[in-house]
Amino acid sequence: MVNDKIDIRNLNVWFRDNHVLKDVSFKIRENAVTAIMGPSGCGKTTLIRAINRMNDLIYGCRTSGDVYIDGHNIYDGNINVYELRRKVGMVFQKPNPFPKSIYENVAFGPRIHKVASGRELDEIVERSLREAALWDEVKDRLHDNAFNLSGGQQQRLCIARALAVKPEIILMDEPCSALDPAATAKIEALIRRLSKKYTVIVVTHNLQQAARISDFTAFLYMGKLIEYGDTKSVFENPHSELTEKYITGKFG
Amino acid sequence: MNLESFLKSLHKLFMRLKSQPVEFILFFCASFSIVILLLMFLFVVKEGSLAFVRLGVQLIFGQRWETNSDLYGGFPLVYGSLMVVSGALVISVPLGICTSIFIAEVLPFQLRDPVKSIIELLASIPSVIYGFIGATFLAPLMASIFELHSGATALTASLILAIMVLPTIVGVSGETISAVPRDYKEAALALGASKWQIIRNVVLPLSKSGMLASVMLGFGRAIGETVAVLMVAGNVAMVPTPPWNYLAPVYPVTAVIAMQMGEAAVGSLEYSALFGLGSILFIITFVVNTIADVIVRRGPVTRGVQL
Amino acid sequence: MSGQTGERVIFAILGVPMLICMLIFSWILSLLLTGIGSVRWELLTVSALQGGMFEMIVGTIYLLLGATAIAGPVGILAAIYLVEYAPSRGLTRIIDQAINNLAGVPSIVIGLFGYTFFCRHLRLGVSLTAGWLTLALMMLPIVIRGSEEALRMVPASFKEAALALGATRWKAISSTTLPAAAPGVVTSVILGIARVAGETAAILFTSCVLITRGLPRSPLEPVMALSYNLFVKIVALGTPAQKVFGVALVLFMIVTSLSLSAILLRIHYRKGQPWLMIR
Repeated sequence: MVNDKIDIRNLNVWFRDNHVLKDVSFKIRENAVTAIMGPSGCGKTTLIRAINRMNDLIYGCRTSGDVYIDGHNIYDGNINVYELRRKVGMVFQKPNPFPKSIYENVAFGPRIHKVASGRELDEIVERSLREAALWDEVKDRLHDNAFNLSGGQQQRLCIARALAVKPEIILMDEPCSALDPAATAKIEALIRRLSKKYTVIVVTHNLQQAARISDFTAFLYMGKLIEYGDTKSVFENPHSELTEKYITGKFG
Repeated sequence: MNLESFLKSLHKLFMRLKSQPVEFILFFCASFSIVILLLMFLFVVKEGSLAFVRLGVQLIFGQRWETNSDLYGGFPLVYGSLMVVSGALVISVPLGICTSIFIAEVLPFQLRDPVKSIIELLASIPSVIYGFIGATFLAPLMASIFELHSGATALTASLILAIMVLPTIVGVSGETISAVPRDYKEAALALGASKWQIIRNVVLPLSKSGMLASVMLGFGRAIGETVAVLMVAGNVAMVPTPPWNYLAPVYPVTAVIAMQMGEAAVGSLEYSALFGLGSILFIITFVVNTIADVIVRRGPVTRGVQL
Repeated sequence: MSGQTGERVIFAILGVPMLICMLIFSWILSLLLTGIGSVRWELLTVSALQGGMFEMIVGTIYLLLGATAIAGPVGILAAIYLVEYAPSRGLTRIIDQAINNLAGVPSIVIGLFGYTFFCRHLRLGVSLTAGWLTLALMMLPIVIRGSEEALRMVPASFKEAALALGATRWKAISSTTLPAAAPGVVTSVILGIARVAGETAAILFTSCVLITRGLPRSPLEPVMALSYNLFVKIVALGTPAQKVFGVALVLFMIVTSLSLSAILLRIHYRKGQPWLMIR
């Protein structure tokens, strides 16, 4: 049975007087890859940051509307926001491993949530690194400094780090934009594999990437949701003229 | 930021602090400085109030400071402080500014860090050691050069003070010069300007406010210096004759306070006069520092510079 | 080519002041070193009652330990608040300015305040404790400013990654930003200690005496200190140079080694910031 994991209703976000997201509403399918695309400054990053409530941390930010995950409104007053962020993982545009060892990076999440220690922790670290397709490359140097890894490896490390706390949803903000084509290919393959187990949302400004890896695509322009649907239809048969112009490269 | 929005944000702050214990502790620590400054002002002025009431402006302008006769006219002391400080600035400001320009623009960059470190080490020497050197080596030297009975003069104090203030001037000016954006210099370079032309026409005009700030900070540092001047200035509470005679002994305000606090009876007029002088010192340095801060903040180039 | 020679002349002129600075430093160094011969080094462990320096050295160390125990934590926590928690730049600016002003208060005025507030109002008398508190006031701005700078240099992305994993704000800062800033913070504490190690005016009437019988038995007793001792000997007692050279040298060496270690730590620290290399 197909399920909608996330239900976004009338989401509006302001940064001081700047109305960044305007009445965005759509549903995100479980265990699928949803791409969010649009030109720079259209509000893509703000949108995904609304899903794990990272926008709360920005001074001067106001949010209205509702975001339901598994039927629960995450903007409800008595939601545990730290638990939310465990359930909803995030991978950033520029790989940002901690200045610690590879092991410590992956172990960070489980440690702070007091999930495991000792042997159990070792197993979690190995599992996460395998899932992120990094284990074979680092298994002999788990205690090396994470910064000794290449850019692509660092990004996979960040993915492993996010996986270590057993999230259900993974948000990715242009995860490949800082990487070379070879590393990008590896991560794209990883994303497709992950979607079998997790709900993955990928922000991208790369149209071809969106077409390649996603099952569903949302097109955002100037804070408004212009179009949303399964990727094939959006790219081959867009409803909106704006979408068509964007896809054919008339602006962007 | 007007008063109403300020009060509103203050209210929001307190509401938040009440609910977050961690943030409360951190805020408490951060607000220490403000609390201490207030307390300092209150208590020092309070102890000086007796003198303010009884002596009024005589504390600063009165001509005679004689403890035995219970006379507390601070003019000779203030004059002594100003003499010594101006002497120090006259020496250290040109020296310091030239040095900072040299270090930032001319010195090959491998030498930059070692030289800056040496100046930093110079700055870290405690004032009592400077006083020791002044009293033990410089004063006898002065005495023999100028054929004086004692080498403890305003000139000696100015020299020692100049050395002590130098690192401040070099440091702050240096930071200002480094803060000049490379883009401006590169634009001038692309037009064919020579290094000196760039310094003279691009770097210096933009650094003017920062250098002014460094002079003010040097002034603040010099006027507040106690121990070193005390050990070499001579400590005679009289305006020299003639008034520009730097080879005479003087008694700066800071030295008086340090020397006479030990013997002043608590609550006596003498005690209060010393605190009164202390309050004036506090206010002067407070004003000077605030002005320096404002200059740096408003300066075209120094906006981000940390003092 | 006269333009170039003209420039060389100007630079030579500009270089003279710098040379003077270096010469001053060497002169001071040489003066101090001439006294090394006249110091009897055994005196370091001999009690002052027999002409030694023991209580002064220990007294100075006691003062420094206590002042650091107060100013260190308070200063670091204050810096964390200013960099990571302060809600508006206006508030940060006011506090920053207060810190700059506190740094600029003459040490004698701090001594006056210490006397009237700690010694009299809080009834601590001339004591080690009053010395701790007064010296902590002088250390505080140095620790806060240095720690602030160290914290600001840590990329915010570390903290963000931790927050995205579900950490509370404090946990994110204490497990990522703080460890990364630790060397810079330690450097600023060392610099603070170096600053107050040689401080005289602040402890003049708040905590020191010329000579005591043995070490203070409680923090409410006065203490002997190197700086105070040197000061009084020269100013009040007119002791000839040879006799005080030992005290001056020991104090100089303590302060200089502290400053040097701070400088070296800073250089070493800059090399060990891997996240700066990625750019």
